[in-house]
Amino acid sequence: MKKLFINVVVGLFVVVAAPSFASEESHESGHDAAPAKSGAEVAMQCVACHGEDGNSPTPNFPRIAGQHADYMFNSLKSYENGDRKNPIMAGIVAALSEEEMKNVAAFFASQNGLSVVNIDDESKH
Amino acid sequence: MRLSLRTTSLIITLGLFATSASFAGGSAEQGKRKAETCLGCHGVPSYTNVYPTYHVPRLGGQHADYIVTALKGYQSGERSHGTMQAQASGMSEEDMADIGAYFQSLQ
Repeated sequence: MKKLFINVVVGLFVVVAAPSFASEESHESGHDAAPAKSGAEVAMQCVACHGEDGNSPTPNFPRIAGQHADYMFNSLKSYENGDRKNPIMAGIVAALSEEEMKNVAAFFASQNGLSVVNIDDESKH
Repeated sequence: MRLSLRTTSLIITLGLFATSASFAGGSAEQGKRKAETCLGCHGVPSYTNVYPTYHVPRLGGQHADYIVTALKGYQSGERSHGTMQAQASGMSEEDMADIGAYFQSLQ
């Protein structure tokens, strides 16, 4: 009976603990050593230029609040692969995983800011 | 060639005007007319780029200076996008400033 109990405990330990060991291992070997940061966490690096909520107060830096998330994700990837050249942005994206790029894009997309210029509205003016 | 002090200062003053006008001096009214082509894509909610697929950016309320920087990037080829390069290729600095002023005015 005691032996059975030990077997169950050891078995449970293997089942519960093994996956977490495995995932730690894959994190260490992969690009991302740490778990992906949330959009709000990544955004801490963006606010100095793009404004606290993505409505940049500086004319040279684009407003990104309310911008489409998929457009911003594509921009971040373009800075990463060199299609878009900007030393500041290249430096920032170098430290981001793809998941973090998606997170931060979703974060700024959810803020109030940019709008689509609606042709129908415009023609009524 | 020798220029009088007056001529030289006039040239410098005009140069300064031209520089500042190219950024901040765009006319939103002129820009509205010049931006008609832009609205074919940027004025359609949920319009997407293809290869790769993503929404074309929202420009309503964007900074004029940033729009000018982006257009110049497309014109020089530094920023790559076939359609945008074609659009920007025929624009003067004044066109860019006007278009920028127009989009910035749409908050």
